[in-house]
Amino acid sequence: MPSEISEENCFVALTTDHLDAKQIMDRILELTCPGTTRDNFGGKPVKELEYTSYEPRALQSMLTICKTILEKHSLTSIAMIHRLGVVPIAEESILIAVSSPHRQAAWKAGEEALEECKQKVEVWKKEEFGGEEGGVWRANRDGAAGVRVEKGEEERPAQGPHGPILRPKVPGERGHGAVVRPNAL
Amino acid sequence: MSSSTKAPAGHFTILYFASASSHTSKSSEFIAAPLPISKLFPKLEDQYQGFKAKVLDSSLVTVNLEYVDIPDTPTDDEFIIKEGDEVAIIPPVSSG
Repeated sequence: MPSEISEENCFVALTTDHLDAKQIMDRILELTCPGTTRDNFGGKPVKELEYTSYEPRALQSMLTICKTILEKHSLTSIAMIHRLGVVPIAEESILIAVSSPHRQAAWKAGEEALEECKQKVEVWKKEEFGGEEGGVWRANRDGAAGVRVEKGEEERPAQGPHGPILRPKVPGERGHGAVVRPNAL
Repeated sequence: MSSSTKAPAGHFTILYFASASSHTSKSSEFIAAPLPISKLFPKLEDQYQGFKAKVLDSSLVTVNLEYVDIPDTPTDDEFIIKEGDEVAIIPPVSSG
């Protein structure tokens, strides 16, 4: 069961389950900004991500962001849900859905909500590079490499017979930018 | 996460997340209360060498879910952490 708060047309939640875009969009239908997990950082292949959270604090921050954006862009409603625990590469880690009488406002609000979330919500991402290299806590603030969790060799991609092994991008995978869902427009 | 564990009498709970948890190898512990907030980082640095430069200098602190300012030097009217409070070290976030 996810932890969630629902208040004044704002819905926020943290969950270890798969993010179900359809379920959220059924609640709030207009447009969504899902973020899928990236497959590399600075060329180093990432095996999986693990998110942890200070849940009660994070839910409060998410609710504050949603309420502010709801009012600023005169939205009908807004939902923000973040996945926790281990998230395999290319699966969605965050889902923001907004509903608005005006499409332009909805797009702006979705983008702003995502930016605010990445700046402020008390969720932390650990990137696992696989093997004995351990994980690295990422910081959104500067995009620089975070703090190494375990001691080990210098991080570098696994070497295959033809050089570093980098998983090919999945079609539609675009880091954390807004992804257009044609059927939502 | 042991935020639900209640601190014993005369103590407060401190929660460590992300890099703070890695550095201390703990997710939480109990510290004797009361403690003026300006003494928190020096106390933690004593206990975990290198903690301040590596983690604390770039972290924020919440007490009972609200962010509090950490003065550089002790002041007369500074925030005092009380028995039973829940304090958390908040390293730079990385959601999304």
